[in-house]
Amino acid sequence: MNVLKGNPISRGIASGKLFIYKAFTPDIRESYFEAGEEQKHLEQFNSAVKKAAKELDRIYDSLASESPDKANIFAAHKEILFDEEVAEDVGNLILEDQAMPDYAVDKVFTEFADMLSKIDDPLIAARSTDLLDVRNRVLRILQGKEERNLSVLTEEVIIVAHDLLPSDTATLDREKVLGIITEIGGATSHTAIIARSYKIPAVLGVPDATKILLNDQFIILDALKGEVILDPDDDTKEKYERKLTDFIKDEVEANKYLDKPAVTADGETYHVGLNIGSAEPDENIKFADFVGLFRTEFLYMESDHMPTEEEQFKAYKKVLANMMGKPVTLRTLDIGGDKSLKYMTLPKEDNPFLGNRALRLCLSLPDLFKTQLRAALRASAFGELEIMFPMVGTIDDIRNAKAVVDDVKSELRSESIPFNEAIKIGIMIEIPSIALVADIAASEVDFASIGTNDLTQYTHAVDRMNADLVDYFQSLSPAMIRILDTIISEFNKAGKPISVCGELAGDPAGTVVLMGLGLRKLSMNGSNIARVKRTISKFSLSEMVDIANEAKGISTQEEVLEYLDVQIKSHD
Amino acid sequence: MYAKQTTVLNVTGLHARPAAEFVSTAKSFESKVYVKRLDEDSADTANAKSMIKILAQGICINTPIEISADGPDEVEAVDKLIALVDSKFGED
Repeated sequence: MNVLKGNPISRGIASGKLFIYKAFTPDIRESYFEAGEEQKHLEQFNSAVKKAAKELDRIYDSLASESPDKANIFAAHKEILFDEEVAEDVGNLILEDQAMPDYAVDKVFTEFADMLSKIDDPLIAARSTDLLDVRNRVLRILQGKEERNLSVLTEEVIIVAHDLLPSDTATLDREKVLGIITEIGGATSHTAIIARSYKIPAVLGVPDATKILLNDQFIILDALKGEVILDPDDDTKEKYERKLTDFIKDEVEANKYLDKPAVTADGETYHVGLNIGSAEPDENIKFADFVGLFRTEFLYMESDHMPTEEEQFKAYKKVLANMMGKPVTLRTLDIGGDKSLKYMTLPKEDNPFLGNRALRLCLSLPDLFKTQLRAALRASAFGELEIMFPMVGTIDDIRNAKAVVDDVKSELRSESIPFNEAIKIGIMIEIPSIALVADIAASEVDFASIGTNDLTQYTHAVDRMNADLVDYFQSLSPAMIRILDTIISEFNKAGKPISVCGELAGDPAGTVVLMGLGLRKLSMNGSNIARVKRTISKFSLSEMVDIANEAKGISTQEEVLEYLDVQIKSHD
Repeated sequence: MYAKQTTVLNVTGLHARPAAEFVSTAKSFESKVYVKRLDEDSADTANAKSMIKILAQGICINTPIEISADGPDEVEAVDKLIALVDSKFGED
C-alpha cells in the first residue's frame, strides 16, 4: 500500500478509479510509403476523418443544450474537418507523393493554420488554433489512440494530470469528477481555484503522478492531509469511510452558520464577501453581503476572440443582476505571459510574474483597457459596481489608470451614454512596494483589497506555482503579519474601506489574525463562507485583537500557526 | 466560365457568420466557384466552397472582389453570391 504526498488544496475525501489525463501531443516525421498502396492509405485517412466526425458529433450533442457556445466550437471543428481544400490537399499528398497519411495531415493542417495565423484579424487567427485542434484529433485517431478529453467521461473517476489548463476545465464534466490529482500547482493555481469552486477534493503537486499512477487503479484521495493512498486494504478503506463521515459531519456543523450573519461572540457584525469568476449565478451570494472580487479573466480566456465592449457590458450587467443587487467589485484583466489566449499572443517572458502583466499589460494596450473600462462604466448605471486594478506597484500606476478612467468617462459623457459618475475606484494591494506606502495610496483611491496570495509571493520571493517551495510560501509569517498590519491600519486611519480577497480570508487562523488587526471586510470562495462565519462567531473582537497582538511578537510562521491552532481549538 | 465583380460593404467582411453563409451558399451549386480579391495583384483565386481558403483571403469591408464559377449552374451561382454580398448579409 503505497502513499504519495502532495498539497491538499480543496478539502475533502474521495475514493475511486483513476483516469490518467494526458493531452495528446503529436510527434510526426516526414515519411512515405511504396508506390501502389495509394488507395489503402487514402482509405486510412478517410476513415480517420469519419471517426473524428463521430467524436465531434458526440461532443456537440452532449454540450448543445447546456452550453450552446461551447457546442458551437465543435460544430466549427467539423466544418474544418470536411473543408474541401484541406481534404483535397491531404488526398493529393497521399495519392501523388505517397506521403504517409499522418505526415500528410500534419503538413497540410499546419500549413493552413500558419496561413490563417498570419491574417491580421483576431477572429481569423483564432481559427488557426481550431485547425491545430482538429489536426491533433485526426492524428490521434490515425495512431489508434483513444480520445482524451474531460468533457465526456463515461464513469465517475479521479483525474490525474500534469496540470489542468483553462481549456480542460472549461469542458470538465463536473458531475463525474470525484477528485483531482496534478503534478504541479500550488494553492492558488488555476486548477486549485476551479477545484475549490466546484467543491472537488484535490491534491496538487504530486511529483510524477501521471507516471506512477495507472488508469483504473483504485485509490483513496485524502485531500485533508494531502495523501494519495494506492490500492488500499480493507482496514484502510474502513478507516477512510469513518474519516469521510466525520468530515461531512464537520461540514454540516459549519453549514449551520452559512445563512447566519457573521457576528462575533460579543455581537459585532462583519461583512463577508464572495469571490466569483464567471457571469453565471452563484447560490452562495445568498450568504454573502457583497462580491469582493469579480475576476474578469474568464471573458478573455474562454473566448475565441477579443471580447467586445458589448459582450463585456452584457456580462457585467448579468453579474449585477445575478448577485441580487449586492455591491460588486470588478477586477480588471489580470493576465500575463504565463497565460495563452487563442486570439492574441502575449510575449513569453522569463519571469511572467514579474513581467508585463495585469495593470501593466492593460496600460500598454490602451484599446483593450479602454474597452473593458467602457463596458464596466456602462454597466455601473445598472447596479452598485466598483472598479479595482490588479498589480499596482506605485502611485504612478494609480494615477495612470485613473487617467484612463477619466478619458473613458468623458468619452461616454460626450456620447450621452449613462454611467455612475461617482463610481468607486480601488486597487489590489499585492506588491510590497505599494503596501509600504499604504498611507499615500489610501489618499489616492476610494478603497483597496489585499490579495494575500500574490502579496505572499512578492514579499517572500516565492513562486507560488512551484510545488517544491510550499514551505517557503508563508502567508502568516511575521513579515506578512507586519505588512498586513501596516496596510489595514493605514486604510482604517484614512477612513477608506479595506478588505482581503485572497486565500487567507477563507482560512480560520487567517480570519482571526486579520480581524484582530482591524479588518472589517473579508471576501472568499463560496466553499469557505460557512467555516469563516463559524470562526467569527466563536471569538469576541477583543479576543481577536489580543491574539493578533500576541502573534505580532512571534518569530516564525511555524510558531504563529501553533499559537493560532491552540487558540482556535480552545474556542471550539 | 462566368464572372462578376462587386465590393464587400458589410462591417465584418467575409469573416465569421457572413463567411459561413457565403461558403454554404457556394456549396449548394454544382459548379466550381471561386473568389478573388481585386485590390492585391498577388491574390490567389480561392475555392469559395472552402471556409479556410475564404478566411485566409482576409476580405474585409470595402474590399473589391470577383466571383467566378465554372459548371452547369455557373450563372445562377455567381448571381446568387453577388446578391448575397450586396445584401450585406443582413448587417446594417
